[in-house]
Amino acid sequence: MSVRVRLFGLLRLDTGIRELELEAGSVRELYPKLAEELRRRDENCPLKEKDLRGCVVSVNDRLSKPGTRLKDGDVVCLIPPVAGG
Amino acid sequence: MTEYAGYMGKLLLIDLDEGSEREYPWTDKDRELYIGGKAMASKIMYDNFTGREEPFSPENMIIIATGPVTGTFAPSSNRFDISSLSPLTGITASSNCGGDFGFYLKKAGLDGLIIRGRSDRPIWIEIQEDKVSYHEAGELWGMRTGETQAALKKKLTELHGPKGRYGMVSIGPAGENLVRYAAVISGERAAGRAGIGAVFGSKNIKAIVASGNREVKIFNKEKAMEHHKKWTAALKAHPITGSQLPRLGTAGLVSTMQMRGQLATRNFSAGRFEDFEKVSGEALAEEENKGNTGCLSCPIRCSRTVEVDGKKVKGPELETLGLFGANLCNDNLNLVCRWNHELDELGLDSISCAGTIAWAMEANERGLWDNGLKFGQVDNISRVMEDIAFRRGIGAELAEGSKRLSEKYGGKDFAIQSKGMELSAYEPRRAVGQGLGYAVSNRGGCHLNGGYLVVLEGLGLSIDQQTPKAKADLCMFMQDFMEAISLCGHCLFTSYAVFPGFLISKPNSPMSRLVNSMIPHCGWAVRMLNKFPAMAFMNLPLIPYTYELKYAVGMKMNIGRFLRIGERSYNVERAVNAKFGVSAENDKLPKRLTKVLQDPKDPKSKVPLDRMKATYYKARGWGENGLPGDRKLKGLGIK
Repeated sequence: MSVRVRLFGLLRLDTGIRELELEAGSVRELYPKLAEELRRRDENCPLKEKDLRGCVVSVNDRLSKPGTRLKDGDVVCLIPPVAGG
Repeated sequence: MTEYAGYMGKLLLIDLDEGSEREYPWTDKDRELYIGGKAMASKIMYDNFTGREEPFSPENMIIIATGPVTGTFAPSSNRFDISSLSPLTGITASSNCGGDFGFYLKKAGLDGLIIRGRSDRPIWIEIQEDKVSYHEAGELWGMRTGETQAALKKKLTELHGPKGRYGMVSIGPAGENLVRYAAVISGERAAGRAGIGAVFGSKNIKAIVASGNREVKIFNKEKAMEHHKKWTAALKAHPITGSQLPRLGTAGLVSTMQMRGQLATRNFSAGRFEDFEKVSGEALAEEENKGNTGCLSCPIRCSRTVEVDGKKVKGPELETLGLFGANLCNDNLNLVCRWNHELDELGLDSISCAGTIAWAMEANERGLWDNGLKFGQVDNISRVMEDIAFRRGIGAELAEGSKRLSEKYGGKDFAIQSKGMELSAYEPRRAVGQGLGYAVSNRGGCHLNGGYLVVLEGLGLSIDQQTPKAKADLCMFMQDFMEAISLCGHCLFTSYAVFPGFLISKPNSPMSRLVNSMIPHCGWAVRMLNKFPAMAFMNLPLIPYTYELKYAVGMKMNIGRFLRIGERSYNVERAVNAKFGVSAENDKLPKRLTKVLQDPKDPKSKVPLDRMKATYYKARGWGENGLPGDRKLKGLGIK
């Protein structure tokens, strides 16, 4: 399944990437693929798969879990946890 | 006088009617019971107000209070508090502010300043150690806050030479014109909420300046410095205080709030805004931010710097970004940065100002009030804000706030306020504990005085946003804990580092999931702790505040005592409100938030307020009328 992956918060600031496209059947499957893609784009990228697993994830504007299935065209947003206002 | 370090041992009462100053009696016993800040102010109000005072009457007091750690160079410890009767709500209000005024007030030898009466002409008050001077402020009247502070610096240089260092607070045109949500500005920081700027205006006070060279004593310097060092390192290592807040500021919350349905949108009719990304923390960081700054002795440095008309100024916080962005359906970030600066210059509270404008937009849309304001139409907002500050045209009406306007024109169901104060940017139908907090908050629709439960409901920890389970108990606990932190003079942002880092940075780990799922079942434990605080006779490294009071102030302290002080603070504030007629009936939210579902397909997407409120009163040991009885007040040593 080809999905649009959008990065937010420090994830975006650390990678300089707003959006990319990846193939994944579930959120769980997306984590290693995204980590690999980030490393491919920048070999010094400090983010690892475990960092991505710590992110809040939404699929099509709805909060999701690692087991959430993905379908073609889904928009997956990842943001590291935040606090304070 | 005081036996404790950290304190200067003096509260000064200025009576503008009599033109006199005298020391206000405040003993070490009072210091042990109330610490400082807003609790000190609430006790003074409790002892002096009868319930018949009006916010703009000379009998109303302005109480500026510091905490004992201010000036000890503890991390993030230089906040001060301004309390008064609020022109917006008619009840007690305290507004907490960063910057350096609290530090300089202590250098002038004061823990606090109480002002009552009214000057017969505009003045600015100068406090230099034991000397109080009243200067004519005719030339300053009408000036914006930046211009006022620059003019004051020039005058002070003429009076005392170029080497002086001063802390100052001032009002802008909004305070002079008695706008009910006028702020007090100190440097670029604001004591924004509840309209205390208008109380300054009603007393003809344009500004207060403090300076001096008094020493703030530290009880055990060696241990205190060692503790500061460890605490600073912990703040810098924590994912929130060491990384997110310095790099994104509070604005970094916008995207998470969007994902969780907590971003107030279109006058709180929704929790998500289609164009949120254009007015998010990420956009602020990428497009507008020129750096970050912080208050005196703060390692977090959460404040953004942006450029407006070629001048570097303070950038918007989350509240301004959310409420002038999504809540007005505005996607123009550059304009929010400009308005943020203009609000400070005019001396307006951004939360109430935006909330009132959003209500007016909806009232216009529904044909209740033809005022020309429309969601998404933003070319006229600068002018509207100026009209509010100078009470011109529709601005004269908007200056009254959304509650009064809805009583005049109709539309109470969508006037998003509690006790007359407009709500912050968190949509509570997707954070129901925060909804309870907004309703029961002593000063009205405030996220912080309400206990800031949203920090557990998705913005920090990840407990179930919709369950009312344990929310009443947690609300009480958080209110008391945050009160106690604030009374010392600390910034509440330090409290995020109390949460173990892994709970924040690894919310999906088995341990975090376990903790998050257990918390809603632990209300009983919170209640037990509240009932028997002696159980918490220990100090824990995760909670640095008690160590700070021990080492810097020399006060006997443990977690149980600390929480009891917070509880006492909340109760005395409530007892002041009771004098002004507040009861359970006033602890409410507009129908939009309690009766209308945010998501029509999700029956849980509203605030189940009545259920939580009853549990909250019970947990607090209050009556069904929502008030502490004599026994409670006596038990806490208030009466």
